[in-house]
Amino acid sequence: MTSLETIQLLLPELILVLAGTLIYLSGAFFPKQTQPTLLALLSLGLVFITLSTQDGQLMRDGAFIDGTYSGPLAIDLFGHTARWFILLAGLLLVMLTRRAGDDPHRSEYTGSLLMLLAGLMICARANDLVLLFAGLELVSIPTYVLLYIGRRGAQAQEATTKYFYLSILSSGLLLYGFSFIYGATGSTSLTLIGSKMLASTKPDSATNLTSLAGLGMLLVVAGLGFRLAAVPFHFYAPDVYQGTSQANAGLLSTMPKVAGLLVLIRIVAVNLPGIEDLSWKVLLAISLVTMTLGNILALWQNNVRRLFAYSSIAHGGYLLIGVAVGVYQQQLDHGPNMALAGGEPGVSGLGSALFYVAVYTFATIGVFGILAGLGTEDRPLERVDELNGLSRKHLLPALAMAVFLFSLAGIPPLAGFWGKFNLLLGAVQASGVMNAGTTNGWFLALAIVTVLNAAIAAAYYLRIIAAMFFREPTGKLAINTNPGPKVAWGLCVLLVIGGGLAAGPMMNPSQAAGENILGALSPISQKAAKEEAERAVATIPAPTVNATTLAAQESDVESCN
Amino acid sequence: MDLSQLLLLSLLIPLLGALAIAVSGGASPHLARGIALITSLATLAAAGWVTCGGSHVTGDVAVTTYNWLGANSSVDVKFSVGLDGLSLWMYGLSALLSVTAILVSWTAIKERQPGFYALLLILETGMLGVFSARDLLLFYIFFEFTLIPLFFLIGIWGSEERKYAAVKFFLFTLAGSLLTFVALLAIVLHAASVAPVDFNTARMTFDIKELAERLVRDPLPLNWQFWIFLGLFAGFAIKVPLFPLHTWLPLAHVQAPTAGSVILAGILLKIGTYGFVRFSLPMLPDATVACMPWVLGLSVAGIIYGALVALAQSDIKRLIAYSSVSHLGFCMLGIFALNKTALTGGLLQMINHGLSTGGLFAVVGMIYERYHTRQIDQLGGLARRLPWLTFMMLLFTFSSIGLPGLNGFVGEFLVLTGIFQRGWVGPSWMQSSLMWIAILSVTGVVLGAWYMLYLVQRVFYGPLYEPAGDHGHGNHAHGQADHGHAAQGLAAHGHDAHGGDHGHDAHGHHAEPPLPPGPTDMNCREFFALAPLVVFMFWIGLKPQDFTKRLDESWKYAAPAAAALDKATPPVTVPAKIAAGTKPQTHSVLKQGAE
Repeated sequence: MTSLETIQLLLPELILVLAGTLIYLSGAFFPKQTQPTLLALLSLGLVFITLSTQDGQLMRDGAFIDGTYSGPLAIDLFGHTARWFILLAGLLLVMLTRRAGDDPHRSEYTGSLLMLLAGLMICARANDLVLLFAGLELVSIPTYVLLYIGRRGAQAQEATTKYFYLSILSSGLLLYGFSFIYGATGSTSLTLIGSKMLASTKPDSATNLTSLAGLGMLLVVAGLGFRLAAVPFHFYAPDVYQGTSQANAGLLSTMPKVAGLLVLIRIVAVNLPGIEDLSWKVLLAISLVTMTLGNILALWQNNVRRLFAYSSIAHGGYLLIGVAVGVYQQQLDHGPNMALAGGEPGVSGLGSALFYVAVYTFATIGVFGILAGLGTEDRPLERVDELNGLSRKHLLPALAMAVFLFSLAGIPPLAGFWGKFNLLLGAVQASGVMNAGTTNGWFLALAIVTVLNAAIAAAYYLRIIAAMFFREPTGKLAINTNPGPKVAWGLCVLLVIGGGLAAGPMMNPSQAAGENILGALSPISQKAAKEEAERAVATIPAPTVNATTLAAQESDVESCN
Repeated sequence: MDLSQLLLLSLLIPLLGALAIAVSGGASPHLARGIALITSLATLAAAGWVTCGGSHVTGDVAVTTYNWLGANSSVDVKFSVGLDGLSLWMYGLSALLSVTAILVSWTAIKERQPGFYALLLILETGMLGVFSARDLLLFYIFFEFTLIPLFFLIGIWGSEERKYAAVKFFLFTLAGSLLTFVALLAIVLHAASVAPVDFNTARMTFDIKELAERLVRDPLPLNWQFWIFLGLFAGFAIKVPLFPLHTWLPLAHVQAPTAGSVILAGILLKIGTYGFVRFSLPMLPDATVACMPWVLGLSVAGIIYGALVALAQSDIKRLIAYSSVSHLGFCMLGIFALNKTALTGGLLQMINHGLSTGGLFAVVGMIYERYHTRQIDQLGGLARRLPWLTFMMLLFTFSSIGLPGLNGFVGEFLVLTGIFQRGWVGPSWMQSSLMWIAILSVTGVVLGAWYMLYLVQRVFYGPLYEPAGDHGHGNHAHGQADHGHAAQGLAAHGHDAHGGDHGHDAHGHHAEPPLPPGPTDMNCREFFALAPLVVFMFWIGLKPQDFTKRLDESWKYAAPAAAALDKATPPVTVPAKIAAGTKPQTHSVLKQGAE
């Protein structure tokens, strides 16, 4: 791959970074004239154009199937689908976090947001530990800035400091985990790590990487658990959300989760074969504990942002269902790639997680968009009972809020229902009802605990809805005139209702992405197999069998048996 | 326009009406109810046409299928609607009771009318959708979707404990139906794995008919069937509600506005029994047989418990709510007896209960609108004041307690006959236990007559006794109380020309017989809200064949389970002989009784 091709492939990320820099600079020199929101929207428009031309070209080349361009960047459907979602979320966030015209920090704020989006897009496709880490830091560092300038006051300072130190700690854990994985496999390329791990699982393999890679996996999960706000790395979330502004809380409860999920899938779910048995058990356990604890603690919250912090912890748990199912499917090697595995039609756990994070993001940004529209910059809405009787005074925001909350609770026909539908279908499928021989009670228990959790979650979402619709208004509610959050939640209403009534356009690409990243059909393993074959042909002229695919086939046979 | 298009139209019209109300917004509060009435009448016309058209044929009618998620999705969810013998009448009843619900709310709802009527119309689409869905996921979507409008209807327009009642109703039902959801997914996944797999076209089907066929052909192992049955049971039994999962029901009924109670009792409870016949029986026959004694036992317990508790109630609405627990037990008995006659009876009883209890709740709402109380001891001798209302009440009561000539008798008779029939062909233990079940459930019929007639006697006969003039502010929402005061002022000036419309405002100046000024009898609107129900009560009572003709087809859903039961317990020689001799005889008795 030439460097020109690399630059072409990175064009959307580059546009975002350049636009961010431009906004920083022009905000510093022409603070009055700069229109950061407008510039950000323009740059997102440019990203849209480049993404469509790029993906169209790659699709025509068949690059998503044979993985021609994959290297340090994974050119597969998963990463590219995730980029489209990040673009959409970026549009919503730019509107949600739009600052008033007299705010002196608005350029820095919007510029940092664009940097964060660039970091997310890198996380979506990075196929190398170093690049992955760089992407994650490009998400984290702008977040510190956003938190710091998002809201003034001692509470905000405390929140920022807390987030900063814990984020650094989690990055440290992550790097520590990377070092173990590197130590075990001798490479930072995830493709090579994957093939080394796979080779070590062969019965005649001299090396056993399980313990070293397992330790690395645990540390990586711990480091990413902070970003997903998964128990036991969740405890910062309520304090930080409470201390910051509504818009920042909306950003924090979505974007770090997206980054964490993408990286978790890329490393743990896809490229650490051989230790799947440990991986899915760890992920399943964290998922169970996270959703239960998050939902139960949310029942007792009175501060809105604290409540949604616990709710977002619980949703982090739901996301992990999809990842655990995906890892288990890979272990069975039997999941979505029915053409190879000879299995039944099924749902991809990883695709379900990707879809769920999307519908969760839309509903959450909508919720915080409405909250940001109520109350002022100086005195934001704090307590749940301040929402009392909202439907009497402001019917539309109250109705939209109800839509978002019902979607988060997973009530049909909203988008959140389809999210839970996919996750539960995956979990029940993994529990083995399809092939009654290999019953896995853990996943059945996971499915049942999930639906019980959904009922618990409905209790506190209903509490908010009851406050808005069933109670009389108490006190006066200040209204923010900033149009940004209104546009954000308006778009979110369309996405949540539209995504529920016509779920296909969002669900099918995520499923395709999940199927594309896993298994022998994924473009990256296609390319690795091809290179392996070429190397084999170059060194040994005799007719030979492709080593990697043979190994893969053998493990197929084993796991099927 | 053919039936399938009309069916789609009947699903669409209420939504359009709700949209029209939302657009017209606060223009005039009375505009909303006008739009709602016209919309629901139009829906009734469409749905009634479909139901009539469907009643003359056999098999599935008015089927429409669209691909929902696109051709490249691995889950083949379809927007597929249509009716069969099982769903036809419930579909028609939903459209009918929606009109009743709107007419009884006409003056009872005084605040935020646009929201109220829009939600009622949305609920109507949900109900029609539940019964017409032919796709499993579509069924579930409508099933859960009905929760949202009713949650708001109870929570905003209910009585004083409405918030608690709404939340309890929602959470109770949601918790059960989510477990049902997991069980339904397990069914779908199993069915996908037993299908002949063609790798290029294999997609997970959600078509209910196809699923049932696959599960009969390749049944699940018994342990899976058992767990899945329990999952389905969690949602459907709470919805029915089967004793002891009924605790949400009296609360929700008492707190709900009249329209909410009518819809809840008339339609929404039947989604539970409908779900059992649609999913549990045909798809999990072995588990059905295994759980049959337990379900029958709980049903009988519910029949007697509901009746006894109803006997002890001092609140009319709560009494009727408990009578629902009792009556739904009969439906469950009929369904789980696994006998053709009993099944037809159980399904007919679903319709009967919708007509009679829907009517009873509507009458109670009319009384409440006049006196602002539902306490039995605060009312008496209303027959003198409200003769027509009393007449209607009596008809619904007779229907409810199963007086021959009315619909309730036919349903209960068929259920009991079927249980005895099932007892004859089984082994001796089953014969005796089914005998006991039948005898015990007859106790429920007797108790039912007792508490209903006792209620009628206390409230409508004897010396006239009405609550004192003051409206009892504690019993209704603030806005309604304010409105009441304003209207009372008007009435004092002698403008109370509209009878029942303002009737409740003028009472209270009573002193001594002959008849003090007070609430007036039923008006035209109230009459037309109830009259269609009465017509159908007589129709079913006098000529049940028109209805049972289509209901009989539903036997195919219970047949696999009945076959499994027969296989599990080979008939002993003597009862088999008796059965061969008695079957035609019972049928003729049945026909005589029915006619």
